[in-house]
Amino acid sequence: MDFRSKLALAFGKLTLKINRLTGSGGTAAPGLIAQKIDPQILSKLANHLSFGAIIVTGTNGKTTTSRILSGILKEAGFSLIHNRTGSNLIRGIVSTLIQASDSVGNLPADLGLFEVDEFTLPLALTQIQPKVVVITNLFRDQLDRYGEIDTIKKHWKEALQQLPAESIVILNGDDPSVAHLGQNLKCKVLYFGLEDKTTALTVKYHATDSTRCQDCGNDLDYEVYFISHLGKYHCPKCNLSRPNPQIFAREIKLESTIGSDFLVNQPETAFNIHLNVPGLYNVYNALAAISVAYSLKIRQNKIEEGLKNFKSAFGRIEQIQIGEKSILLTLVKNPVGFNEILRMIFSEGTKRNVMICINDLFADGRDVSWLWDVDFELMKNKTDHLTISGLRAEDMAVRIKYAEIGEENLKVVKNLPEAIKTALDSTPKDKTLYVLPTYTAMLEIRKTLNKFGYVGQFWEE
Amino acid sequence: MGGIRAIKFMKLTIGHLYPKLMNIYGDRGNIITLANRSRWREISVEVKDISLGEPIDPEIDLFFFGGGQDKEQILVASDLQEEKGRALIEAVENGAVLLSICGGYQLLGQYYRPHLGEDLPGIGLFDSYTVAGEKRMIGNVVIEISDSLQSDYSRHAEHPKTLVGFENHSGKTYLGKNCQPLGRVVIGFGNNGEDRQEGAVYKNAFGCYLHGPVLPKNPHFADYLIQQALRRKNPDFQLSPLNDSLETLAHQAAISRAKSTR
Repeated sequence: MDFRSKLALAFGKLTLKINRLTGSGGTAAPGLIAQKIDPQILSKLANHLSFGAIIVTGTNGKTTTSRILSGILKEAGFSLIHNRTGSNLIRGIVSTLIQASDSVGNLPADLGLFEVDEFTLPLALTQIQPKVVVITNLFRDQLDRYGEIDTIKKHWKEALQQLPAESIVILNGDDPSVAHLGQNLKCKVLYFGLEDKTTALTVKYHATDSTRCQDCGNDLDYEVYFISHLGKYHCPKCNLSRPNPQIFAREIKLESTIGSDFLVNQPETAFNIHLNVPGLYNVYNALAAISVAYSLKIRQNKIEEGLKNFKSAFGRIEQIQIGEKSILLTLVKNPVGFNEILRMIFSEGTKRNVMICINDLFADGRDVSWLWDVDFELMKNKTDHLTISGLRAEDMAVRIKYAEIGEENLKVVKNLPEAIKTALDSTPKDKTLYVLPTYTAMLEIRKTLNKFGYVGQFWEE
Repeated sequence: MGGIRAIKFMKLTIGHLYPKLMNIYGDRGNIITLANRSRWREISVEVKDISLGEPIDPEIDLFFFGGGQDKEQILVASDLQEEKGRALIEAVENGAVLLSICGGYQLLGQYYRPHLGEDLPGIGLFDSYTVAGEKRMIGNVVIEISDSLQSDYSRHAEHPKTLVGFENHSGKTYLGKNCQPLGRVVIGFGNNGEDRQEGAVYKNAFGCYLHGPVLPKNPHFADYLIQQALRRKNPDFQLSPLNDSLETLAHQAAISRAKSTR
């Protein structure tokens, strides 16, 4: 390591120490300072990873996919560095590496597993030449932060084209715009997807983004929709069709809010998987992780072991016991994610107690327009009590009013701790309260529950 | 009594321009709002989608034209040239109501000038033009409705004189002599971040940068559009009031969020 990067590393480590002493949980500052001193610090540190790096990106499922993958990789004997605390910008990754390295940049790991914000992918690829890049999906998400999805796709394409032949790109074949990224790359491309018509959507979502042919612009024909615009499609005008996935799931059995069972097919094998997190979207996340494992030639039994021990990530479907009641806490952040959560919660047809908390701080997305792209109309006659809170509770309440799902059950309680109490009070014994917050509202809810004594401190790991 | 009978048979035909292509930022909420607020008053509603290559139906009372991504906007711009654009202008000249947001608003002006390449022609319904800007104008917006429009609104003294929304655009729009702004920017950037103007009005056609979506949080504006549209066939038509307490709270909350975020 040269002098400049040693200096960057030293200052980064110092900032980390100060952060710890002052009890600040900030994960970005050490990386930010190190980058200021040496803009190339990321690539220099990442070079110390003897087996290279894996990059995970996409609109939804990055965190869960990375976590599933981390379990499998550890089971397979890799020593890992993983940016786990959701710090998925360049500075977050640098911070993770600084924390793990010694004073000359040696790392106690041979493989990096980096979850990367969709906006950051191009920049990350200029600094880290990864062994594998996996892209989960591309949906509309916080347009005030990320911009339009065509723009993101264009930047991704340009970045992936720079990858050398020895890299591997793994794409969700069911997503027309993500699958299209696989054309004309120098490196190897693998696709994953679903082959199970029983999990098709019976009602199409309103928020579908990429349903036109990426080559000719004609409307795609869908044999089946799985989630939003994810499905089995072809263009009736030109030759484009969904690529045949090398890794796919079939015989999927979804168990409401508990988990799922499915059969994974890889080119030479097929095996059953039980997943501890519910929802079809998590089947996709597991498939993405399994595809990476396959590309690294990890054996089937290691994959099975890794998945067996998987627990959901912070705030993404968390079950919390509150005396004789329980809370199921699930982050919502964009229309498709929200639709999938509603689909999971209401899949059994029983009425539910629900609390929705919408904030509009930077991390939530300042624009709450997206609430009108969520199909709340699906909730009609399916809630016993609905409590609404958050900085934009009023916007959410109006959305519910116009969904005409039965306003009489609706309570608007601006103050979050009060809202939790109200919602819990109206939840009967032995029942679950389904709590759906945006990101900063989730942090606030965790804090409140912590004060009530129900959950531990949330600086995970 | 005659008035009541007229309401019973009242029908509103909404034309949704390019619903599949111009549908980002939750602008669908505007259609939901127009339709529900009409139905809640026993006015029957029909929403007709108008896609690429489909003609403008002269039966339509109220057009909605939302925002889209660049690629889609290019397709739509070329579809609106000639015949279809002319038909849309004719409808507005004949009293039809039109609400356009962001991309839709830009395409109804004279042209859109990108950073590179040729101008994207508009249809010139609004005497306005848009130039690609350097930085994106993003955030909560509050505007005060123009005086001349306020005389129409002020029929109901309790109506707020403000409109609230969320803007997210890089195009800077400038108005010419033959249209007037929808309002004056109180908080936010507005048309171009320079002249404190927001939106455009020509007859019953409105353009603006207000996502949010705009109508659910501005029920007075939604009702104004519905009323003007129905007056095409019944000049004396008066909408009955609804309970807008939730909507009014959302309007006020949006103003206070705008104050604290900008």
